[in-house]
Amino acid sequence: MTMSRKNLLLTYSLAVGVRYLFLHSDFQKDIVNRIEIQTPLNSFKRVVEGRYRMSLGIDPYESDSLHVPPLHLTFYTFLIDNFPNYLPYIFMLIDLLTGHCLYTFARRYMLKLYIKQEKNKHTYAEDALSQLLEGRDLYLPPQYALVVFLFNPYTIFNSAAMTTTTVNNLLLSLFFVGIIYDNLVISLAAMTLSTLQSFYPVIMIAPLYLTVYKRKESHLQACLTLFIYALSVIGIIYISGIIYNGYQFLDQTYGFILKVPDQQPNVGVFWYFFMEMFEHFRLLFLFSYQMNVTVLYFLPLTFKFREDPPLLAACFVTLIAIFKSYPSIGDFALSLALLPCWKHLYSCMQQVFISSVTIVITTALAPILWDLWIFWGTANANFFFGATLAFVTAHIFLVTDISFAYTKREYLLKYGNCRQINGKDAKLVLE
Amino acid sequence: MGLLTDPSAGQGKLIKLLLKYYAKLCVLLYTVGIVYFCALASSQINSSTYFSENALLPGLVRSEFMDNTMAMNYFDELKHEMKKYDDSIPYPWLLAKFRQLGLDTYTHNFSLNYPLGASQKFTGKNVYAIIRAPRAASTEALVLSVPYRPPVSVHAPTASSIAIMLAFAKFAVKEKYWAKDIIFLVTEHEQLGMQAWLEAYHGVTCGKKDVLISGDMKGRAGSIQAAINLEIHEPEIGQIDIKIEGLNGQLPNLDLFNLSGKMALKEGLSLTFKNRLAKRLKSLWRDWIYAFQTMMSMVVTQATGVPNGNHGLFYRFGIQAVTLEGFSLPNPKSNRAGFYTIARILEGTFRSLNNLLERFHQSFFFYLLSATDRYISIGLYIPAICLLAATFMIKAYAKWCQLHNNNKTDEKQAGGDAKNQLSDDVVKELEMKHAALTQGDWEQKFEVESEKPPNDKHVGLGHVSLVYVLSHVVGFALRDLPKYMSHVGATYGYSTETSIYGTFAAVSLLGVLFPLCIRRKPAYKSMSFLNIIALLEVGTALICLAMYNISIAMFLAAIYAPATLLINPTRCGSCRIVQRVLWLMMHPFVVFNVCIAVFTFTAFPNDSLEEVFYRALGASRQAMVYSIVDSEIYGNWLYNMITMIFVSTWLCFYYVTFGKADPSEQIIKKKSD
Repeated sequence: MTMSRKNLLLTYSLAVGVRYLFLHSDFQKDIVNRIEIQTPLNSFKRVVEGRYRMSLGIDPYESDSLHVPPLHLTFYTFLIDNFPNYLPYIFMLIDLLTGHCLYTFARRYMLKLYIKQEKNKHTYAEDALSQLLEGRDLYLPPQYALVVFLFNPYTIFNSAAMTTTTVNNLLLSLFFVGIIYDNLVISLAAMTLSTLQSFYPVIMIAPLYLTVYKRKESHLQACLTLFIYALSVIGIIYISGIIYNGYQFLDQTYGFILKVPDQQPNVGVFWYFFMEMFEHFRLLFLFSYQMNVTVLYFLPLTFKFREDPPLLAACFVTLIAIFKSYPSIGDFALSLALLPCWKHLYSCMQQVFISSVTIVITTALAPILWDLWIFWGTANANFFFGATLAFVTAHIFLVTDISFAYTKREYLLKYGNCRQINGKDAKLVLE
Repeated sequence: MGLLTDPSAGQGKLIKLLLKYYAKLCVLLYTVGIVYFCALASSQINSSTYFSENALLPGLVRSEFMDNTMAMNYFDELKHEMKKYDDSIPYPWLLAKFRQLGLDTYTHNFSLNYPLGASQKFTGKNVYAIIRAPRAASTEALVLSVPYRPPVSVHAPTASSIAIMLAFAKFAVKEKYWAKDIIFLVTEHEQLGMQAWLEAYHGVTCGKKDVLISGDMKGRAGSIQAAINLEIHEPEIGQIDIKIEGLNGQLPNLDLFNLSGKMALKEGLSLTFKNRLAKRLKSLWRDWIYAFQTMMSMVVTQATGVPNGNHGLFYRFGIQAVTLEGFSLPNPKSNRAGFYTIARILEGTFRSLNNLLERFHQSFFFYLLSATDRYISIGLYIPAICLLAATFMIKAYAKWCQLHNNNKTDEKQAGGDAKNQLSDDVVKELEMKHAALTQGDWEQKFEVESEKPPNDKHVGLGHVSLVYVLSHVVGFALRDLPKYMSHVGATYGYSTETSIYGTFAAVSLLGVLFPLCIRRKPAYKSMSFLNIIALLEVGTALICLAMYNISIAMFLAAIYAPATLLINPTRCGSCRIVQRVLWLMMHPFVVFNVCIAVFTFTAFPNDSLEEVFYRALGASRQAMVYSIVDSEIYGNWLYNMITMIFVSTWLCFYYVTFGKADPSEQIIKKKSD
């Protein structure tokens, strides 16, 4: 049963209504400029500034203000020039599109799960029936994903602040749609544009590879896809370089992401660490932190989740949001909205409640500690960092929980719920 | 990482234990939390204050102030001058005196558009003068302020403070060692003038726009590092009291409190906090009782979030400040301290502050005091509020596990014992069959499958979110509605107090009556879920509140934790009534009125009950108006927080009591029958 068209429309209009109300409320100005929402990387103010400098004939990448790649800058310039008065509404629309993509993705994903389950039912253990998906298990997750995305304060604040993360979320959700529908064009295009903007989605090559491989059963074709991807990224950078007379923008975009020169506080872990650390260790830790996002989980997770590329991609989205150099809550909005697709893993998960409560508390606490630190001068950086560290840790617990639950569910389906060996209670141990 | 990777952790035993004992655990946590908080006053647990900032070098210089007669002259002149100005500030005289001393002297005008009722406008004027630092470039400043109180004022007079201030200015202007500008500030209309001056100095507006119009300022000094506010009521005083509680429960750096205390003691004045001397009693019990009373009187003041002096408005701007209030004692012999002593205290304090190299940052900002020389740091009191907040969280977790467990058992029953081991032939056949299905066929099968009716009742998320959102809409409405109603009421000739109190009471009553009109009982699971959300919201709010204002957080936690523990949908009719009556008593409006009544009763113990009742009613009405005005002018968030969070969650909990009873409870009952 699809969510009836009426309900879907109602959800969208409610989402627009909430956003409209927020846009015209007293809090709007106080909230959108917060550092949890706007980072140097995704701030729209900087894009406006870059566009203005360009119109004056100055290279927008000359100073340290703009970190958006040329192709995206052209897109935003187009928006600003043609719809200067409707910008907030355009970002609202982008939000709705993202929500719809997630909904489409989740529905298709549930269908795939169902097909897989029906096909393999005879191989499951006899008492694993409680694990099987039926009725509402299949029907609810898409709706939850949609609602969680559209009505999450993170998303609302993010699009009200008109951050470039809003667009990146749309691209990533398009990528999800692409891989679930096996549509190479969409997924390649979305991934290319997303990588160009924020670099880290480069690790999405793993789910892309797996998707192509699962469909065509040929490593050659999968590699070819990655080759096309690399070619298009390099091609776009090359053309941008020709148009912009040089490659200074590389240092201001990817250099800015990788070298982390700006230590303005945000919800991530980079700023505090690089602020407190002795300068001569900087390179070492820069490498270890960046490897943490890109390489460390790349192979293990890819091998573990080779059967389920969407889950792999979702894990990567969360990990990127947690460990990227300039995270904002907009990144977490997407990763949280993907969670309902793994609702069936819930019974195998352990700390969902605790992690979610921690996320809620820290979300409320962080702005207060920021206020005490910056305005009242009574607290200090450690307070705020403590809150964001707990926030990030809760997300790590969440993503770890999901990956273990996936493994555990596979086990349960195969061997059943009964956990007794020779009549004694047995314990599951992961080795 | 065992916590993360152990696949069997949390499987059964712990959760079973939690489900069985969570109520007892909550009671235990609550009791421990409260007892621990009370015990904090004991000198066995808390520690004695010390100077953390080395640069202060308190009391290291020899005081040089001698000019007692000058201060006496100023005092006599001012008294004479004040007679000419019944209810305003004698600013020509003040300006003349400051100019005579050779200071940069300015006036600052401000006006207030009263935000409630019929529109009214008030104006006021502050006078301030600046000593420019001879040894630095006016980058930093200290403030000495006095609230001017005309003879008609209801507050104790402060004329002697102005005399001391002038005498001290006369002394200070000659000295060469000042590295920070000193601003002498005389404010009008108590906190209003102070707030306007601070806003004008920093060029910001803290409250609502166009309410307090702080105007512009002609002269400024550097960034203000610290401020001392003087409220010396008599020329001869016997003891000095240090006031610290500020807006929204903020406190000054403990070093500044220690500094002014130490200077007072150095000059041989008896020092009090909350009008209580630091006493060492031999009996442990009595010692604790005495300290506890001191601590609780601080808790009460801090909990209101209303500054108890002009110092309290500085904190928002990152400026540390205290008020020194001097009282004369009933016994004239003990009033030995005159202008001379107090000016020397000021001299010592300002010379120490002059040594500061950085803003105050060393010592504590979050503490409670149980005496002038004992403090309870944040590390000590945070566990208390965490224990209380944990009761909410643990109940929420237990409820969550209950919900989840119910789902599990249902599913298991539905599962049955179907054998799934099939022979190879059947498997092959199945695979053939599956291979024959096209994508379209699968989609159809999927549609059919997902349309199957659910085999058990799930949480009605739509219902829950509707109730949740509606109750918060009521909370938001209560934040703004009384203000508008006061304008409406004014056109019909009602007083502001009546219209605001009436609106609040009416909206609260509507909130109480509305669920009664709903015929169908909401499902148990939905209500359980609503209960969880509301518990989490209160728990989170308390933790956040504790960061700003531990006292209000403790107070709210102490009264709400036991009541929320009792809120559960039940079958038993009388339990339900008890629950609701108890919960009605917990309505923020009721709690507020009861608190005011208790205060009135303790303040006027000799009045008859009826008199106390009317007095309390009047006081409640006034207090409600004040809290709204405070939030409009000063940005005090107490009223907003109570309406937006506590009224809203109150409604959620109230709605929960209307839920159907726990089905598992019924099963157990049937079995026992």
